[in-house]
Amino acid sequence: MNEDKSKKEDQNQNDQSNPSSLVQKIQQLGQSNVPQAPDSNIHVLSIIGQVEGHVQLPPQNKTTKYEHLLPQLIAIEQNPKIEGLVILLNTVGGDVEAGLALSEMIASISKPTVSIVLGGGHSIGVPIAVSTDYSFIVPTATMTIHPIRLTGLVIGVPQTFEYLDKMQDRVINFVTHHSNIKEEKFKELMFEKGNLTRDIGTNVVGTDAVEFGLIDEVGGVTEAMKKVNELINVNKDREGKVIQ
Amino acid sequence: MILYTPLSETDIFPYSEEAFKSRQCVTYQGKEMYVEQSEDGSYQLLQLLSTDPQDFLDDRFTPGTVFR
Repeated sequence: MNEDKSKKEDQNQNDQSNPSSLVQKIQQLGQSNVPQAPDSNIHVLSIIGQVEGHVQLPPQNKTTKYEHLLPQLIAIEQNPKIEGLVILLNTVGGDVEAGLALSEMIASISKPTVSIVLGGGHSIGVPIAVSTDYSFIVPTATMTIHPIRLTGLVIGVPQTFEYLDKMQDRVINFVTHHSNIKEEKFKELMFEKGNLTRDIGTNVVGTDAVEFGLIDEVGGVTEAMKKVNELINVNKDREGKVIQ
Repeated sequence: MILYTPLSETDIFPYSEEAFKSRQCVTYQGKEMYVEQSEDGSYQLLQLLSTDPQDFLDDRFTPGTVFR
């Protein structure tokens, strides 16, 4: 009892001696304490804002820099304590090659991966969403599928046109290989008229994305965590058999 | 004030680069993070770049923490 009391007093003293940190915590999080838990075997990678690639975007843009994510993905692959990965997506798109690089990295990870599309997974967010072993989309999230576009100075129009055409094929190939959508359907959605007022393309909403075979299932955090744990167990069973 | 113009918002109110100059990406105590340098020279944590969900529950790395 006495020990408890003295501990409490100690804590009180600590809180009083460092009031600024407590005030800061309340200001930033609206609470004074956050729960502590043991190390997690599932890591979370959030891809938010624009996917930033070869060009540094102005600082007011919220971006996810792919050079930050690539080493993290390698670390996740190498760390034996990490058994699964959840990707949270809320992106407006961005650099095609950076997005494809991320997608290929995620697709080639040996550990179970699950993605959740929240809010939006537009343009280059589509290949990133389908690159995981299993993908989820929340009912209110949308994914815009449209042809690749380019802004800025173009030197050599025919060559650039051909280059863009090939780049688009790479995106289409990746998506059709990593999801259940047929190439014809994906192209149809990509070049559809009348869905985006005066633009070509389609804005696919949660349940439609599942219907088209682009995403595996409608669901949120619960479903995603259940799935990643299920995949981890399948992975463990397989490894166990190899050893025997 | 209501503006009715074909110009983009940034043409009328250009962003000042100054406000973002004090931001940088650093590694501190083994964690990568975005910090902003305050006028008094201390750094305030803006965003933690980690894939470990437990890092986000760590008291030492809650957003807004000031490092001296």
